[in-house]
Amino acid sequence: MLRTILKREILHNLYSLRFALSLALVLGVFIAGSSSFVRKSTTIRATYRETQAQAREAMRKDAAANATQLAVNRRTFALSPRDNAFIVDAKEKYLPNAVVFSAWNVFSFENRSGSVNPFLTKYDELNWAFIVGLILSFVAFLFTFDAVSGEKEARTLALALSNQVSRAALLMGKYLSAVISVLTILVLGLTVSLLDLLLSGGAEWSATLAAETAGFLLAAALLAATLAAFGLLASVAARNSNISLLLALSFWLLFVVVIPNSSAFIAKNLYPIDKVEAVQSRVNKAFADLDKAAPPGSWMMNMSFPFTPQHELRANLQRKRLEAEKSIRDAYYRAMFRQFERTRLLTAVSPVAAFEFLAEAVGGAGYPRFRKVWDDLHVYQGQSLEFFKAFDARDPKSPHWYNPREDVSTTRLPVSFETVPQFTEKPMSFSERARPAVVYLIMAVLLTCLVYLLSFFLFVRYDVR
Amino acid sequence: MVFPIAKKEFLTNLLSARFVIGFVLCLVLIPFSILINIDEYRERMSLHMIDADAAEKAVKEVRVYSALRPTVVLPPEPLSIFSKGISAQVGNKVGVRLGEKPLLAEGRAATRDNPFLASFFSVDFVDIAAIIFSLLAFLFSYDAFTREKEDGTLRLQMANSLGRSQLLAGKVLGVLATLLPVLFFCFLLGAVIILASGNLAFTAHEWGRLALLAGVSLLYLAVFVFIGLLVSARTKTPVTGLVLCLFLWVFFVFIIPHLSSYLAESFVPVQSRENLDRVLDDLDQATLRKIAEGEKALPAPDWFMSWYMNGGDDGRRELYGCTASYFEWERRRAMMAEPLRIDNADQKWGAQSAYLDSLSRQSRAADRLAMLSPAGIFRIIASAVCGTDRRAHVSALADIRRYRETFLRYLQEKDIFDKFTYFTPAPPSSFKNADRLVEARTGGRFKTLREYDAWAEKQTDWGVRWEVLRKVKIPGDQPEDFPFLDISDMPRSAKRPVSLTEGLQASLLQVGLLAVLGVFLFYLGYIAFIRFDVR
Repeated sequence: MLRTILKREILHNLYSLRFALSLALVLGVFIAGSSSFVRKSTTIRATYRETQAQAREAMRKDAAANATQLAVNRRTFALSPRDNAFIVDAKEKYLPNAVVFSAWNVFSFENRSGSVNPFLTKYDELNWAFIVGLILSFVAFLFTFDAVSGEKEARTLALALSNQVSRAALLMGKYLSAVISVLTILVLGLTVSLLDLLLSGGAEWSATLAAETAGFLLAAALLAATLAAFGLLASVAARNSNISLLLALSFWLLFVVVIPNSSAFIAKNLYPIDKVEAVQSRVNKAFADLDKAAPPGSWMMNMSFPFTPQHELRANLQRKRLEAEKSIRDAYYRAMFRQFERTRLLTAVSPVAAFEFLAEAVGGAGYPRFRKVWDDLHVYQGQSLEFFKAFDARDPKSPHWYNPREDVSTTRLPVSFETVPQFTEKPMSFSERARPAVVYLIMAVLLTCLVYLLSFFLFVRYDVR
Repeated sequence: MVFPIAKKEFLTNLLSARFVIGFVLCLVLIPFSILINIDEYRERMSLHMIDADAAEKAVKEVRVYSALRPTVVLPPEPLSIFSKGISAQVGNKVGVRLGEKPLLAEGRAATRDNPFLASFFSVDFVDIAAIIFSLLAFLFSYDAFTREKEDGTLRLQMANSLGRSQLLAGKVLGVLATLLPVLFFCFLLGAVIILASGNLAFTAHEWGRLALLAGVSLLYLAVFVFIGLLVSARTKTPVTGLVLCLFLWVFFVFIIPHLSSYLAESFVPVQSRENLDRVLDDLDQATLRKIAEGEKALPAPDWFMSWYMNGGDDGRRELYGCTASYFEWERRRAMMAEPLRIDNADQKWGAQSAYLDSLSRQSRAADRLAMLSPAGIFRIIASAVCGTDRRAHVSALADIRRYRETFLRYLQEKDIFDKFTYFTPAPPSSFKNADRLVEARTGGRFKTLREYDAWAEKQTDWGVRWEVLRKVKIPGDQPEDFPFLDISDMPRSAKRPVSLTEGLQASLLQVGLLAVLGVFLFYLGYIAFIRFDVR
């Protein structure tokens, strides 16, 4: 019985005006997105290569000067543009995209100046995740908002139920057919976009891309399922289709506009963190205390005589200052991470937001990616420090007074650049991507089941006449 | 005959469920957007206070002119509560320096404490209004003719001696009469929330601009009503009209704004910031080399020793307790170096302004593409009226650059680079030569610098070398020995007052476009309805 209903509903959807319009809109946006992606990514990659080459050159110069300069000078690691940015960009250009570090510490992160044009209002890139999150979510509502109330108005609902058909089967048939119709549009759009990208050289076919596409499809299917359930709920909650339309639109506005746009407000009011000024004054106070406690003459520095005995005091003081500042700042960074993660979790009550986080995990992008780089850089920093200390230990002239800031109390020998450990960003592994996604996945599945059951409950009591 | 029809339309609409739900939607979304943006404005205001205090303190607590570098802190625009424009993306602080003209403002308020929050977007009143008003306009017009046709009442009406234009005018008036109270209710609600939230004081000026915004919103609403009527006159059933209208809505209100920025960013690239930084760095290095050469040509002082030195960027040098010839060396250095750095700023401006222009060009391209949608036009006008658009910010930056010229003139009129007060507050009458300084500091233990140097060379402990010089404190070798500069004659930057209609004048083209679009759509709708098959 379900098969008959499904077939009828799908055919009904496929021949409808909304299907044709949705398909045209989705295909148009997919093509606009992929073709401008190709154009944009070439310039972005060229700029990035230049930046990288410069950073390497600066490092090579320091290594040629001496190992101490290589260790104490601060460097910036800029996150590379992702090859799969056409799947999801996860607002990476607004997120911190560079980390400042030296062999002694991972200092801070920043959004590099020039990543965003400040004269453009914030906007989403036209990638797959945006198209699904905005347009396909709308289409999912469009296919379901009048599924029940529309038929009631057309007086076919009573007719359908006068046959040997259960309400459960009828509702499930309508539900599945809507999801399948939405997915048909999505698959067609994705195929066109992929073909465009592969043919124009914007992407290369690989097992990873196949897996990411499949993962993305699953996430999108889950979103379509959730929103179709909400659409059905709107449809069975009202007696006429005009009202169910407004209900469905309200759901959509809530998920697409209201919840995602109140995140910053929620973060600041529900999970407040210290002001940056307060943190700075804490650092200043720690510095002042250390300076006061330091033996007199600790600030003495003479660049012309690097191994002057006073420089040991200076090295001790600088190490203590580094540790003090590091512990204060790292605590602040942890508070930032916590604030951001909690807000995201709360934002994920909107299925559209949850989908964006899922897509972000599928693409190995955005915040999880940044956190991985941040953690990996800490490991790399430890290795660099060990490398430096071992190198310094081999220099008989060096007094080994470790000073994390200045080149006045450790080895003055140049180091061969090729032997220095280098940092490269490793793509996220499957488990690293899956771990942050699980919670959003569970939330979305639970929500879908709950809403579907609720609409079933209402449909059973629905007056079909 | 028009008015009875309009009245009937008005009453049917008013009693319909869609009116109630639409009204409730406004009732929820408008306060939501206003409250969030009041919160943001308050935060920006409190940061502005902190920054302005810090800037004021920084110029008041200087003892030498080389440390006097005012920072202009831009106040947040109160109407940003209604339309944020680009105000959340740009900073609020601009440092005025000799060595570089200000390019962009620094210190974005929204992400100061947690930069990750920059990945969260937020909407303002105008965004919500653009969504809601267009939706309501469509909801009341998509079935204006088709519904009556299905019900058979349209045929009935046309059977009377009623002109089609009269019927159309009645419909338009009826729909507008339904939506007008909603629109004004939204603005009233916004105004009431502003008034109720205590410490926000809008001036008459700002209320006036808000009223202008309401007028533009009405125009925007009318355009969507006309689109809806056109759709209704060109379709056969209400369902078709509804689906068409919904797609137009999503396309105009949601897709085009993102599409326009994205396409502008792909096809109108901005210059690379890294490249600009490199060019500026090269010019800076060249200037530093010139200054270093100039320093070599200066006669060397008898003792390169400063008892207290406070250096910083942009030529800040604060010196205490030096010898007379070292002070003289510094004076000649400043005379040579500072004009070179000011020239360097002029040279750098070429590359900087090219970069700035490329940013503006991209943003203009995005604006032009956004004008494909009435919602895009509406947003452009709204941010111009509220003074939060690109034009307002760019002109504020240009004002600050002009202020920099005024500030430079102020320094140059004082011939400040030729004077000792540029780097030390100590009066020239108190300057001593090296031998006298060593004698005074060591309490007479060494009579000349040569004697001291000969002794110091033998000391392995560097601390001891300094200890003997510390024996007698000489007045004027510490900053605390001097009062702060009197800078009451320093020119201050003042925010240019904005006239009531300035934003509107700047976006006159867009307003005209919206009006022409409205008339054109109405005309199309009229023609379509004349040809409409009422059976």
